[in-house]
Amino acid sequence: MSYIEIKGLSFSYDEEGGTKIFDNLDLSFEKGSYTAVLGRNGSGKSTLAKLICGVLMPDAGNITVGGLSTKDEDELFKLRRKCGMIFQNPDNQLVASVVEEDVAFAPENLGMESALIRKTVDDCLAAVDMTEYAKHATYKLSGGQKQRVAIAGVLAMMPECIIFDEATAMLDPLGRRDITARMKGLNKEKGMTVINITHYMNEAAEADRVIVLDNGRVLMDGTPKEVFAEGDKLRAANLATPQITELCDELIALGYKLPKGILHTMEAADAIEKLVKG
Amino acid sequence: MLRDVTLGQFFPGESLLHKTDARFKILILLVYIVGVIAANSAFSFLLIGTVTAVLVVLSRIPVKIVLKNLKAIIFILIFTAVLNIFFYSGETLLVDWYFIQIYKEGLIYAGFMMIRLICLVCGSFVILTYTTSPLDLTDAIERLLSPLKKLKVPVHEFAMMMTIALRFIPTLIEETDKIMSAQKARGADMESGGLIKRAKALIPILIPLFVSSFRRADELAEAMECRCYHGGEGRTRMKQMESCFRDYVFFTVMLGVCIGVFFINGYGVTV
Repeated sequence: MSYIEIKGLSFSYDEEGGTKIFDNLDLSFEKGSYTAVLGRNGSGKSTLAKLICGVLMPDAGNITVGGLSTKDEDELFKLRRKCGMIFQNPDNQLVASVVEEDVAFAPENLGMESALIRKTVDDCLAAVDMTEYAKHATYKLSGGQKQRVAIAGVLAMMPECIIFDEATAMLDPLGRRDITARMKGLNKEKGMTVINITHYMNEAAEADRVIVLDNGRVLMDGTPKEVFAEGDKLRAANLATPQITELCDELIALGYKLPKGILHTMEAADAIEKLVKG
Repeated sequence: MLRDVTLGQFFPGESLLHKTDARFKILILLVYIVGVIAANSAFSFLLIGTVTAVLVVLSRIPVKIVLKNLKAIIFILIFTAVLNIFFYSGETLLVDWYFIQIYKEGLIYAGFMMIRLICLVCGSFVILTYTTSPLDLTDAIERLLSPLKKLKVPVHEFAMMMTIALRFIPTLIEETDKIMSAQKARGADMESGGLIKRAKALIPILIPLFVSSFRRADELAEAMECRCYHGGEGRTRMKQMESCFRDYVFFTVMLGVCIGVFFINGYGVTV
């Protein structure tokens, strides 16, 4: 059984069962995997994240995270502890005015002993390189720093899985690159299951698996190479391929013999060099 | 303009007053206020004045800042003084000119009243506002009021609300600034016109501010749920408030001062 199992999920924000966001969706995420979820606005990406964390309840179907069902109210806190979530707006997820107090929020809720909280907070701040900011006011930090604090706050619950819900959308390019690198680090070094919901194709290219949602259905599911090789299908879902992939696609269309599904600039450079040198 | 607002006017520092447990500071302030209000003779005011001066020195807050705060109440000071001078009727008449009668007791009473107000403001700012971080303050209030939980008073929830309010003040100030700029860019005029016109000009700022605050509140609630928040039950704290011997000494000294005021109230010039 996979770590996150979604079976026959149906969900609608409308009580009377109006427009359904999801209708009979099946999806699973393996433990220790790094997945990017793509989709245009309103495709149900964020709703999916909230359903997995148990913030929203499915109308029908079942979601289990590490064997715990989101429907089981007694287990809800165990589930939320396993599966942390980082939101889009860094300002709206920081609870306390001081960095370390904010990181301590989750452990405090979990009823840890104060000495243990202290240690957890110090460890988590070190993990996101924010130790020197421990006593700073949260509102004075930059967007990227705020998101790092938010990550520390979630890490403090010692989760097995972190969902980033467009966590880089409000950041500058530098902050975005930093947070994306941290996602990868969490996955590769700490073995965490990472799900990154995003609009940025370059970020999605970093993941091991890409899922494209469209109208509450899985349109595409595969490695970034496989998904981005099908540029036309992506464009039909109002999505684009990463810039470099698009460039290569256009070169291919002009008759140059480049491999399909190139994702990184260096990869493209190598391929073009090979082509030129023949 | 809006960015200059300092929050709660807390001045970080390492003085004795900064280090004192916030719970004790609240209690000390209460005792101090009782002392200030009870004082009614020259000697007791001398005692209170000295204590206030010592507190200001102990806090290591620059006297300039403390005096700056007094500026804010200067109108109230003059107002009470004038009222007391002209309307206090005593025995020794000093001036009697048409309808104006000024008594010696009135002058003394006005002086006392001014000292009292100055002490109250300086003392409470130095003991609490300047030297206690807002977070410590909410924490202390939560702990001091925690016995009320038995009476089903939602003490934790109030403290949480205060913490979040403090957290969001700078965020909302920033937001207000942004909305004001956005409305000005659309030609809104907020600086001219009379009081009513200006108040009306605020509506296009307040409405977006409210809407966005509600949206923020919604998101924050979700984020808090995701971090396992479930009310005050079973919640622990990272920072344990530890009272030390010094806190008790400080409190006892203030209690002594307060009792002292009651003892020497009858001596010296009184009214």
